[in-house]
Amino acid sequence: MIEVQHLTKRYGPVTAVDDVSFTVERGEILGFLGPNGAGKTTTMRVLTGYMPPSEGKAIVAGYDVFDQPLEAKRRTGYLPETPPLYPDMTVREYLTFVARIKSVPRNDCTKRIGDMMERTRITDVADRHCGKLSKGYRQRVGLAQAMLHNPDVLILDEPTAGLDPKQIIETRELIKGLAGDHTIILSTHILPEVSQTCQRIVIINKGKIVAVDTPDNLTSRLRGSETMYLQVDAQGADAAEALQRVPGVTRVGIADARDSVTGFEVDSATGRDVRRELAAVIVGRGWGLLEMRPMRMSLEDVFLQLTTQDAAAQAAPAEEVTHE
Amino acid sequence: MNNILAIAHKELKSYFSTPIAYIVIGFFALLWGYFFWVMLLYFNQQSQLGGLGGGGSVDMNQQLIRPLFLNATVILLFLLPLITMRTYSEEKRSGTIELLLTSPLTDFQIITGKFLGAMGLYAAMLGVTVIHMVLLFSYGNPEWRPVVTGYIGLLLMGGCFISVGLFISSLTKNQIVSGIVTFGVFLLLWVINWPASFVGPTTQSVLNYLSITDHFDDFTKGILDTKHLVYYFSVISFGLFLTARAVDTERWRG
Ligand SMILES: Nc1ncnc2c1ncn2[C@@H]1O[C@H](COP(=O)(O)OP(=O)(O)OP(=O)(O)O)[C@@H](O)[C@H]1O
Ligand SMILES: [Mg+2]
Repeated sequence: MIEVQHLTKRYGPVTAVDDVSFTVERGEILGFLGPNGAGKTTTMRVLTGYMPPSEGKAIVAGYDVFDQPLEAKRRTGYLPETPPLYPDMTVREYLTFVARIKSVPRNDCTKRIGDMMERTRITDVADRHCGKLSKGYRQRVGLAQAMLHNPDVLILDEPTAGLDPKQIIETRELIKGLAGDHTIILSTHILPEVSQTCQRIVIINKGKIVAVDTPDNLTSRLRGSETMYLQVDAQGADAAEALQRVPGVTRVGIADARDSVTGFEVDSATGRDVRRELAAVIVGRGWGLLEMRPMRMSLEDVFLQLTTQDAAAQAAPAEEVTHE
Repeated sequence: MNNILAIAHKELKSYFSTPIAYIVIGFFALLWGYFFWVMLLYFNQQSQLGGLGGGGSVDMNQQLIRPLFLNATVILLFLLPLITMRTYSEEKRSGTIELLLTSPLTDFQIITGKFLGAMGLYAAMLGVTVIHMVLLFSYGNPEWRPVVTGYIGLLLMGGCFISVGLFISSLTKNQIVSGIVTFGVFLLLWVINWPASFVGPTTQSVLNYLSITDHFDDFTKGILDTKHLVYYFSVISFGLFLTARAVDTERWRG
């Protein structure tokens, strides 16, 4: 549904987006993740036809956004980073104007607007001026604007920025509910958001893609090993030695120690489940096993690892998934 | 066409939901009214003198309406920048340009829509002056033809200024800068042929040709000359063309 090929965008000497390629399947939600200045907004602006790429191309809903902009734009809804509202119009006037320029059929207009206001929960501010709305309401009006003409593709630049926690959940549900009929790209800094809403994540840093994968794969793959947290009622050094001898264990580290209770971090090769052996050894020695849980790398860790510079070099294997 | 009208309608509505439209129309009515009154006094004095002398004929068209139209030019120089200064600048500043440029609209539709919106407000502004004309027609009997061509000329001349103003507005995010530059350019266009009588015949005709206000003169005499019509339409198209170029360049630069 969306195909981005070797997209590069330069602002004078600044390369904001550098040779980015990815595809989004019909009905999928793709999360676009990256630190400030990574190039998320720039990529989205190219995809929506706001600006042409310096190199490469983007195909949205089967149309090249540069060669057939009108066809592509007809099928795209876009929520820019700052919701594009006219302060002097009421919400209803604004949506009516948007419906007109997006060629929503006249007879369908009122119903569609009412519908969209319901879904984004802005009906109660319908007759307020856009300029007088709070940030969260502006965001929601922006969202209503993007979805108004029922586009195949939705491009949402930080759709939950400025919303309260309840609204974030509602918006997330709304977006999830749209998937299937719509293909969605959303950008965000909020990591739990992508893991909960998106089927796939593109992590971008300094204009380059550093990883493309599902949230689950990303968290497990990057580690290269699995880590278990154990709390054992025993002397640290003794227990560490015993655990080290369990087959499959690659590393044992002491995480914390309090009185006679010690916490361990046990690494093992990926895909090898050593929980049973660990438990058997501990119980066999007559120690008490107080806690055992897998320590998965959180998406935050993944993100930080991928986007801080040194780690980016380390995570070089991630490069191979760049073009899928 | 529907898209153009949608934009024009939006523009016109935004003028009237801010003080701009009221300020512009208010000042125009005030200044026009003032000129009208002054001209009327002068005209009365002339006609009394004329009546006493029994000789020179007084002509309401020549001595009242025509100077009124010519003076209106000066009012336009001050007021039209207020109309055009925000058209693009404000959209760029507030980010609403992102909505327009990512909607299925062509640049041509957006620009034409904005132009027509500004023309709409300008026409409303001129509409106020119809009252004065009605007064003249009910108390005297001027010729209607120079009045009609005068209005056509005013509309076209204003259209030229508006299209130039639109272009300047498309160059900056700052509507104050846009307004000041527009005003400066209008002044230049107004005085451009002042040295005409002191220079060689070629330069003279070039300067006169460039002067937007100079072309207006014939309209106030009741002459509808294709030469001037072509000139005004070309200037308007050229201004709109430059605006389109500016919007496109901006898009590439990002
Ligand atoms: N109009 C512009 N002119 C020049 N440089 C720009 C322009 N817009 C963005 N940039 C630069 O391009 C780079 C990418 O910016 P972009 O806005 O795409 O980042 P982003 O990922 O959206 O960041 P954020 O998370 O802060 O929204 C930045 O270095 C920025 O300074
Ligand atoms: Mg951004």
